[in-house]
Amino acid sequence: MSHRRLTALALCTTLALAIYAVESAIPPLVPIPGIKLGLANIVTLILLRHTSLKDAALVTGARTLLSAVLFGQLLSLLYSAAGAIFSLTLMYLVNRLLKNRYPYLTGAVGGLAHNAGQLLTALALTATPGVLTYLPFLVLAGILTGLFTGFCAFYGDKYLLRHLRWLKD
Amino acid sequence: MNQEKKTKYTALGIGLLLTAAAVCSLLWILIPPPDNGGHTADIYQNGELIHSISLKDVDQPYTFTVTGENGCFNIIEVRPGSIGIRDASCPDRLCVLQGFITDSRLPVTCLPNRLVIQLRSRTKQSQDSLTLPDTITY
Repeated sequence: MSHRRLTALALCTTLALAIYAVESAIPPLVPIPGIKLGLANIVTLILLRHTSLKDAALVTGARTLLSAVLFGQLLSLLYSAAGAIFSLTLMYLVNRLLKNRYPYLTGAVGGLAHNAGQLLTALALTATPGVLTYLPFLVLAGILTGLFTGFCAFYGDKYLLRHLRWLKD
Repeated sequence: MNQEKKTKYTALGIGLLLTAAAVCSLLWILIPPPDNGGHTADIYQNGELIHSISLKDVDQPYTFTVTGENGCFNIIEVRPGSIGIRDASCPDRLCVLQGFITDSRLPVTCLPNRLVIQLRSRTKQSQDSLTLPDTITY
């Protein structure tokens, strides 16, 4: 990995962490665990579309780990890691299917997959099938927040990409 | 050209699937379940049923405390017909913000303390049988 690349990826991670920090300062919109905007996913989505899966996975992995160390506990790491793995995998597949276009659809699928991953983790951790009653809430929230994230990535990528030319070599 | 059309159809398909999922969820959320006379509150900790309270038989509101690992606690308040968490040791206290529930649509969950309160409406079967049901099938 070249120095330029490393620096660019580190910058992206910092940006994602900063977004995450700002977002966690916003009080929860609805009192249902697991529902939030997921704005840090904007960075993941931009990287996924314009560079590679590897870059997106590196930045998302680093962001997830660091955010748990800086802001959360071990338990929240489990939830966010499951969400990140699910959403990254599905967004990669959908983005390939859509040939890099319609990023808001990719974002919506990502949000949905993220919440599905979290719900499965909750199911495994609490061993209570009752948490499945959250499914409709999480599906709806995942799609709406994902759409929003996707639009942000769609309109925001040109500002970020101006500084990310190094990632393309 | 053909490729472009294919992508467009894929996008349309994914969009329709997402819309269908969203509409189904919305309907599920908005349509209340039939109320057939009173609910039973099941309180689960780490997936185990630890309390089962028939909310119809509650006359006076009362509170009790459920403690768990590492000294965490949830103070549960039972009222006639509703149940909720009054105070808790978890960091975000989302479980307290979830308020009091009156139907089986949404449980109160405290993820950090692995506590779930789920209301179960009386089914015909459990009304008929005199013994308390101790297995719950979803």
